[in-house]
Amino acid sequence: MDLIRLRDKYSIVGIGYTPQGRVPERSALSFYVEASANAIKDAGLRGEDIDGLICYRQFQPVANDVAVTPYLLAQHLGIRPTILSQESYCARGQFLHAISLIEAGFCKYVLISYGDNALSGGRSFAKGATNSEPTEDLAAFGESGRVAQFAMAARRAMHEFETGPKTWKEIAVNQRKWANLNPIAEMYDEPMTYEDYGNSSWVVEPFRVYDCCLVSDGGRACIVTSTERARDLRQPVVTIMGIGEHNPSVDIHQSDFMAGPTGAKAAGKTSLDMAGITIHDIDACEIYDCFTYTVEITLQDYGFFGPGEGKDWFKDGRTAPGGTMPVNTSGGLLSEAYFMGMTPITEGVMQLMGRCGERQLGAATGTKEPEIILCSDNGAVFQSFASLILRRL
Amino acid sequence: MSNGRPLPKPNADTAPFWEGCQRQELRFQKCLQCGTVRWPPSIICPRCHSMDTQWIVACGRGVIYTYVVYHVAFHKAFQGDLPYVTAVVELGEGPHILSNIVNCAPHELRCDMPVEVVWEKVIRQFTLPKFKPVRGANHDTGSGT
Ligand SMILES: [Zn+2]
Repeated sequence: MDLIRLRDKYSIVGIGYTPQGRVPERSALSFYVEASANAIKDAGLRGEDIDGLICYRQFQPVANDVAVTPYLLAQHLGIRPTILSQESYCARGQFLHAISLIEAGFCKYVLISYGDNALSGGRSFAKGATNSEPTEDLAAFGESGRVAQFAMAARRAMHEFETGPKTWKEIAVNQRKWANLNPIAEMYDEPMTYEDYGNSSWVVEPFRVYDCCLVSDGGRACIVTSTERARDLRQPVVTIMGIGEHNPSVDIHQSDFMAGPTGAKAAGKTSLDMAGITIHDIDACEIYDCFTYTVEITLQDYGFFGPGEGKDWFKDGRTAPGGTMPVNTSGGLLSEAYFMGMTPITEGVMQLMGRCGERQLGAATGTKEPEIILCSDNGAVFQSFASLILRRL
Repeated sequence: MSNGRPLPKPNADTAPFWEGCQRQELRFQKCLQCGTVRWPPSIICPRCHSMDTQWIVACGRGVIYTYVVYHVAFHKAFQGDLPYVTAVVELGEGPHILSNIVNCAPHELRCDMPVEVVWEKVIRQFTLPKFKPVRGANHDTGSGT
């Protein structure tokens, strides 16, 4: 598979933010629309330039919201793209699809968008029963969703190699330090100590509240185009140096990859091979972090450390501000805001563009000036995995 | 009465399993070509794509592959059960199924612990397979048939 011909050929050219955190009285659609319009503006494009539109899936609508579709988003943006698409159940193919559409000649500028009003709408991953009545047979056993399913994987990992709260508290605390440098992070004003982590209540053991991602109102969008076109646009050029996907697909209850190797291993290898580099060339990571354990197993499968060595690897702030391998520099899904894979991927782009203010990698945070950042996105419960290597040209 | 608990909703694929539960039998499909015992139910074998299938009754013994302890009730009907345990049980025949572990304090559980099925009648139409530790079991005998 000779993907090296695609290395650096495509770039991410505009990032769209919205107010985020707790932003009441807003529909999910409004966040998709605002983030998308801001991404278009940020790139220096006009609405009519967008000929491809790909939405992340929307969770079940809350309040009296309508379900967000690409049709609806295009209508509200006043655009008529050549291609409309939306992932059906977190199969994280957005960036690879965007590149493929441009490479094949169907599109020039592909907009990727996500939004939700989860926090104000009362959607919950970690608190009591505010979600809709479950439809799956497993609910008869009291089985409820993502926290428990990732916790099952984490428990199996504790059995197969040395991991657990000692490793995860380092991840949670290191990421919180990044959030404390990020004024738009939900946890900007809330420092976290190891004691805070240990005192946070159990949700589904072995996970505590501080092992779980946030729930957020807000949205995030970005635009993919050719690097050739990117050079004429407003922002510094950040290319997709490598990209890979892998979809083990099996439901977590029947999976044999709870303790790895997850899709990160094969997807990571594909992306590194395409980029023609090894993990030793990576300056920082932006890792999909729905739970602390997800960060550990992803970096372990990428090859940053061996099974069970994370306990020492994350110590002494290696991934925190000032550390030698910064991870999740916005605070991530754990401490900034939850916008699926858009949280890590857009942060990687913003860091390479040099637009991150107080949390900017380089001299400002006592870290290496970044040239190459490894990002990941993860769908369902380790069933889908995407790896992106971003580079500042 | 189910006390407001969600109940299984048998469909064309899963009905034979739930009918088996009513008779206190753990039924799974076995591929007659390659011998794979599969879960969830399907029209073909995921290993060899044969449609040649027979329903078998599993022995009801296995080991805990993994487990978690709920400290939050995401569905209000389970509030009174907290803390409760859900687990993936690896049955002797191979399938991994989700269930509850009963008759055991959560902190005595561990992965690979041998367990056996116990039947819990929820309402007249539904009996659920749950699992309890096999007392005094040798650690290695859980996967026998
Ligand atoms: Zn077969």
